[in-house]
Amino acid sequence: MADTIEIEGILEEGEQAFMAAMAAESIHAGFPSPAQDYMNRCIDLNRELVRHPASTFYGRVVGDSMIEAGVEEGDILVIDKSITPSEGDMAVCFLDGEFALKRVSFSDPAGSSEKGLWLLPANPKYSPIRVSEEENFTVWGVVTYVIKKTWRR
Amino acid sequence: MRYALVDCNNFFVSCERVFQPALENKAVVVLSNNDGCVVARSNESKAMGIKMGTPFFQIRHLVDAGRLVACSSNYALYGDLSARVMSILSEAVPKIEIYSIDEAFLQIDGIPEERLPQLCRDLVRRIRQWVGIPVSIGVAPTKTLAKIASHFAKRYKGYKGVCFIDNEQRRLKALSLTPIGDVWGVGRRIAPRLESVSVHTALDFVARPQEWVRGNFGLSCARTWAELCGIPAVDEETGDARKSICTSRSFADMTDSLQDLQQRVAAFASECSRKLREEGTAASEITTFLYTNRFREDLDQYFPSATIRLPMATSSVREVVGAALRGLRAVYRPGFQYKKAGVIVSRIIPADSVQASLFDVDYSQRTKNDRLSDVIDKVNSLGYGRTDLVHLAVQDGGHYSEVLRREHCSRLYTTSLDDIIDVH
Repeated sequence: MADTIEIEGILEEGEQAFMAAMAAESIHAGFPSPAQDYMNRCIDLNRELVRHPASTFYGRVVGDSMIEAGVEEGDILVIDKSITPSEGDMAVCFLDGEFALKRVSFSDPAGSSEKGLWLLPANPKYSPIRVSEEENFTVWGVVTYVIKKTWRR
Repeated sequence: MRYALVDCNNFFVSCERVFQPALENKAVVVLSNNDGCVVARSNESKAMGIKMGTPFFQIRHLVDAGRLVACSSNYALYGDLSARVMSILSEAVPKIEIYSIDEAFLQIDGIPEERLPQLCRDLVRRIRQWVGIPVSIGVAPTKTLAKIASHFAKRYKGYKGVCFIDNEQRRLKALSLTPIGDVWGVGRRIAPRLESVSVHTALDFVARPQEWVRGNFGLSCARTWAELCGIPAVDEETGDARKSICTSRSFADMTDSLQDLQQRVAAFASECSRKLREEGTAASEITTFLYTNRFREDLDQYFPSATIRLPMATSSVREVVGAALRGLRAVYRPGFQYKKAGVIVSRIIPADSVQASLFDVDYSQRTKNDRLSDVIDKVNSLGYGRTDLVHLAVQDGGHYSEVLRREHCSRLYTTSLDDIIDVH
């Protein structure tokens, strides 16, 4: 996890590695550098985008079901399983044997007063899906960020 | 004194199900390295009568017939999910003792009695939601009873994952329902001997005098007896084992050669492995470190170390040397003059407490490792040949493992960006 590093080609299956290296500075040190106090303050996207490391997983978008929400094929999803979905959350759902990206809604998009759970695509090509408890369905996790590569080389 | 044991249910299978929810409610097994034999089973495959250690070829027809799903072991995935479970546990209580990849004892002494049931239920729910892993928690006055309680929590749905053995009536009931062979610390060799003298359950066992147990079955069995009676006794045992073993030397001359360092590190690692086997323990963390000469201010300085955490504890010379050499290759930089190197093995536990399901992972492989270790020890005890043998090991470049057969391996969902789940 966070303080684990990947060493290409050295670790075997299931192993984790932790490395430490002290710089020569610790030996030659006269006065410590005044910049040292600020060393750990740079922006760490892991910390910003991952609120709960224990419950955060990643997914890759396939297809165009959320295209009108700006989510395209190839985007990386940051998924937090610790969040209980609320109205309008974008979520990864397990439905009909695969992971599907949808918005979660607790009211009928057609406007009826029926209570239940609907999964809404963001693409007119697809229809909202009404799911019931007994179906083979779970909300796997809530999407907190979408990471998109804009530089296409 | 109370202990809570958190035990992940059918852990390897549960890990596979997190990313393949379609495997829920299906018969699933996880195979050992090389797809040799069964090392984990879902409740459904247990119900089909598939035993731990069953060779894969004997159940292949069930897979072909679509009645069983077999997964190759994906230790990178299991290790990551285990770390997530452990981090949730360590945030909830003051201290945890990680016992194996899928078990941890919680220190709950400071927590008020009345808060405990809710805390345990919350943990079961949280780990299930956050990581996707079902766990069972057993709470009891001793570790051995906590293990029994966790079995009940797992087996009977009514407990909702949490079982307390917190009074005399419950303790006796639990003991009467526990076959002696299922008791933690009663080895597979001792159980049949106990059965032969009409000790069938844990209750039969504690009905005998402790002196009888000690006289016939030894000290460690007598400790188990005390534990089952509610008197903590295994802590002292594990407390004796050393926390880490270090073998290191300063060199007569400095060296910058990787080849040179590999030979020395392999020798240190094999010495650590020998000490582990001598005291009957196994380690799961192997650290390799290097020092340049700190008194030579005219030279560049570098003091790196790398710790490799193995998926399971080991004392095998092959595995310890292999890990130490991989650590060395991770930190070695040319252009420095190294003066000292060393190997530290840590996270040491008694070899017989390395969980059976893990230690038996590949029985043939294990025995091969043990035999190799024995041969090396024997040669070493003759007082010659040590460096030659180690030298042989090094020429292999630390690449001991054969190409693994892994026909049914799932993706590295959490450790490789190319392998994350597809979301449609």
